[in-house]
Amino acid sequence: MAERNNTRLWSMRGLFILLCMFVIFWRLLPLDLVPRNIAGPDLILALICTWVLRRPEYATPLMIAAIVLLTDLLFQRPPGLWTALVLLGSEALKSRSAGLRDMGFVPEWITVASVLVVITLANRLVLALLLVDQAPLGLTLVQMLMTILFYPFVIMFSAMVFGIRKIKPGDAESLGHRA
Amino acid sequence: MAKDRTHNDDYAGPLRRLLIGVLVVCALGLFFLWRIDSPRVERFRAQVVDRVVPNFDWAMAPVTGTVNILRDFQSYQRIYQQNQELRRELQQMQAWKEAALQLEQENARLLDLNNVRLDPRLTFVTGVVSADSGSPFRQSLILNVGSRDGIMDGWATMDGLGLVGRISGVGNNTARVILLTDSSSRIPVTVQPSGQRALVVGDNSVAPIIDFLEDAGQVRPGDRVITSGDGGVFPAGLLAGQIAVDPGGRMRLRPAADYERLEFLRVLRNYQRDEIGTAGDLIAPDTIEVPIQAQTGGGDG
Repeated sequence: MAERNNTRLWSMRGLFILLCMFVIFWRLLPLDLVPRNIAGPDLILALICTWVLRRPEYATPLMIAAIVLLTDLLFQRPPGLWTALVLLGSEALKSRSAGLRDMGFVPEWITVASVLVVITLANRLVLALLLVDQAPLGLTLVQMLMTILFYPFVIMFSAMVFGIRKIKPGDAESLGHRA
Repeated sequence: MAKDRTHNDDYAGPLRRLLIGVLVVCALGLFFLWRIDSPRVERFRAQVVDRVVPNFDWAMAPVTGTVNILRDFQSYQRIYQQNQELRRELQQMQAWKEAALQLEQENARLLDLNNVRLDPRLTFVTGVVSADSGSPFRQSLILNVGSRDGIMDGWATMDGLGLVGRISGVGNNTARVILLTDSSSRIPVTVQPSGQRALVVGDNSVAPIIDFLEDAGQVRPGDRVITSGDGGVFPAGLLAGQIAVDPGGRMRLRPAADYERLEFLRVLRNYQRDEIGTAGDLIAPDTIEVPIQAQTGGGDG
């Protein structure tokens, strides 16, 4: 039993990394070399929020830090700052996950949206304080809104394809191997 | 069992918090290091890109190809219209071809008269576009040529027709090209035929702004824009595009390079330029060193 749980734990962790790598791969494809006025959602961030709220043992802080730092480096963002903010945001969500578990979807959506708003604004604020060149504010806000809008779809996708659902009292067993 | 778990939580809680604290401090440390010593961290970034992007290469080319085929398939729906357009354009092209042939002959005659030798060092390396910046905020792309092929920071890249951008960040097998449209791109140019100097300033839009024009009255939409070679940034005389005026009345550059379809890029070799290796020093007159030399001289004597 413990053996099986362990295999599942590591395979799900592998799956999370694989999903993130796929998103990175898709974004790196040289399909759009012309600047656009709209920005797509930050799917990696949405994935992190979804998985952290549902199965935090599948998306450990170390993995989140490694993936976001890689995207920082690949996507030419100032390296490190966004990583730190996403880590703090995901921890904030994790600490509220117990309360959100019993509530419906709307409170969760509002919580996630507020965390996204806070880390986006904090990112811009720190960059502004350190006089780093920034992307246009409108574009950043569009990306944030798109991420918030796409969040339900990421949840549906995770639940239907990979069975990432909220932990119910019945299957507390799956948490037993966290240590 | 339940008691066991709470025990685990008690034990794991502080450890987890410590781990997260360490991770956050490390990430912020990297960020501040980047802010203080940007060139070194950017070199590290180039190396990470160099490690990661070639791993995706085997899948990137076929997937990009498939998506482009699907996009092209949509255009079959209006194939008749396109055919008509092409015929019209072909007719215009024939007129231009005639003009070009005459000019070519004239040019050859003039070169012969002047006994001009073209600079043999202005050769190029051709690379394939293997990835883009991956972010809507930055306009750059990654080529599959790097320091292994002798690529150096700051070299100009062109597609068949016009300037595309400059190299910034070279790994062993990859090099990043910052496009003219990126908001950090600044290129000194000359507007022909009036000879006005200006800067092409990228602003994350399709058409970069033409800034610092001496006399905007002498410049008209449709004028050719070529690099001026000021500041040793680029070789002079590379075609960048044409002047256009946006609805707000600002001068903009319509790039000659076809940004919709960048596949192969030429990187022009250019060895006559300064390298940026450090974060920057104070600009001070040389005379400061004199007293130190005098002192050591005294010590020797």
